[in-house]
Parts: sequence; C-alpha cells; structure tokens
Amino acid sequence: MRKLFLFLAIIFTCLSIVFASLPLGTLALIPIGIALVFGFLTLKKSDLKQQKVVKVILLFAILSLVFVVGKEIFTKDEVEVDKQFDTKKTESKKEAKKDLEDLDGL
Amino acid sequence: MRKFIFTIILILSYSFSFSQIKPNERLVYAASYNMSGLMTQLAEVTMETEMMKTSKNTFLHLSIQAATFSKWDSFFKIRDLYESYVNPITLQASLYKRSIKEGGYSKTEKYIFKSDRKTIISTSKTNSKPETKKTFTVGTSTQDIVSVIYKLRTIDFQNYKNGQTKSFVIVFDETEFPVLVKFMGIETVSTGNLGTKNCYKISISAKTNALKGKDKNLIWLTADTKKIPALIKFSIPVGTGQLTLSNATGI
Repeated sequence: MRKLFLFLAIIFTCLSIVFASLPLGTLALIPIGIALVFGFLTLKKSDLKQQKVVKVILLFAILSLVFVVGKEIFTKDEVEVDKQFDTKKTESKKEAKKDLEDLDGL
Repeated sequence: MRKFIFTIILILSYSFSFSQIKPNERLVYAASYNMSGLMTQLAEVTMETEMMKTSKNTFLHLSIQAATFSKWDSFFKIRDLYESYVNPITLQASLYKRSIKEGGYSKTEKYIFKSDRKTIISTSKTNSKPETKKTFTVGTSTQDIVSVIYKLRTIDFQNYKNGQTKSFVIVFDETEFPVLVKFMGIETVSTGNLGTKNCYKISISAKTNALKGKDKNLIWLTADTKKIPALIKFSIPVGTGQLTLSNATGI
C-alpha cells in the first residue's frame, strides 16, 4: 500500500509542478491537493529511513502550492497591448464608414 | 471556444433595457470559466459605444470585444470584435460586423441591412474558406446580436412579474432563431466600481445548441434606468462560466 501511495504522490507532484508552471490558475490546486494527500499518507506509512524521500516529494508539492497561491495573489490579470488588434479595429471603423456612406447613397 | 464567446454575447444581448444609450459608455468585464470546479479568469470583455458621422447620417457604433489575458495568449489567444452601427434613436442596425480570432480559427462576417429591413447582404470569410457573398431575407423585427443588446434597454422590467417572458429574434451565422427572456425577480449583486446594487435577475433561453440547461443562463441587470449588466452566468455544452462587471465608465 505504501508503494502505491508513494507512486501516486510522485505522479501528482510531477503534475503539480507542470500545472503550476503553466498559466492554469487555481486549476493547479487539484493535483497539488491530491499530491499532498498521498504524500502525507505515504509519510504515515513510512518508517524513519523511508521518510526522507517522502519529505522531498511533500516539499515540492508545498512549493508548488505556495507558487500557485502567490501567482494568484500577486499577478494581475491584464490584456496585453495588441497593436495588430488595435489596427484591425481602426481599419474596421474606416471600412464601416465607407460602407455606411455607400448605404447613404442608395 | 466559439460557443463560449457566442454565449457571452447572446446573454449580453439581453442585458440592457429601458434606458437611453449614450455614446462613450464603456463596460469592462472579467470572463471566468469553470475548470474542474474552479472558476478561472480567462479574458476581458469590453462593451463600448461611440458616435459615427457620415456625410448624411449619424450612427451609434456599438462594439463588444473579447481578449484573453496575456498569460493565456500563448496557449489560446482570443481577439474577437463584434460591431453594430445603428440609428441612435431607433437602434435599428444598418451594418453589423464580426471579426473573430480564436486560437487557429478566424472568421470575418459582415451584414448590410437594406432599407426594407427584410434583406441582408452578407459577406463571410474564414481562414479555411474563401469569401462568400449571400443575400437572404429575415423578419422585419430580426436584429443582429449586438444591436439587440442595446435595443433591449426599452424593456421595462420594473413592471414585470416573476416568470413573465418576452421573445426576440436574432440573426447569427446567417441563421434566425428565437430567444426567450424570463424575469426572475430582484437580487443584490456586486457591480464593480458601482458598488452593490439591486439587480433584475433575468433568465435567457434560445433555440440553439449554444445554451444548456433550464434557467442556467442568467443575467443580473442593475435595477435602475441604466440597466447595466452586473453579473452574467452561462451554461454551455462544454461547461459553465461567468462575466463579472469590473469597471463601468461614461454611463
């Protein structure tokens, strides 16, 4: 049972790191939560010699948690200034004006 | 994702009523999507109005744009623009334009409403198909999805009873379909920089695959003459999400 918990803890910790590094927001909390649960279960079933590896896994999961929560708190959601999109909007208005002028002439 | 944006626009289209539409109004929303039970902010939706003068007429330019937050751009970039040029008094559209860019998909669409109000000259183009032109007929009360947003400000929800409905017809993707709006009472909602306000709770349903569930597509409009959409919740086949008003200016 310990081996299964350890395997799952490793898998979900890896997923936590991947999710945390991607812009998936709070979605990363799911693998982190699962990694922590399996990590602590493994820790409970481990003797003193076996605990070192589990503690490293838990450390990575906790660091991922801190990183994700920090990102959510300190990163502001912003839309990048998109010159291409701005140009498109300006051109669209010009085209529309021409179309409306043509409609006036009908 | 197209359904997601369409749903937002559709729900927004029922968001205004009983109020004069002023130029230079700007409403900014944060769009969130439910990912595995967690609401994740994806994009910013902005609705703007401005006047446009031609040599003979004056039009009110209504626009809705959606843009993903920069952190999502490298994964799935959205830059959508929906526009309608309407008569400032009657809010009847003369020109409707749609330009969407969602990931690798792009589409532009233009409807010119002829003066008989029954004929639309449509020009459409996608990244995979060449430009096509089509002329089709619609009902005289049919409107494009953007102009109907503002047209709906003429609805006086103050006199509506719980469960009372009103129907509309929209043309989208060269297809007409009916939409039903149901009044569901008054609730208190946070409205961004406007504070907390009493809002009309409205349910939207349409004969389209874009919306899912009964009374799961909801909009809360401020219960005043401005009828600003404060909160929008939507349910589509691929999930649920919401738009929250973050900033309103020029109202």
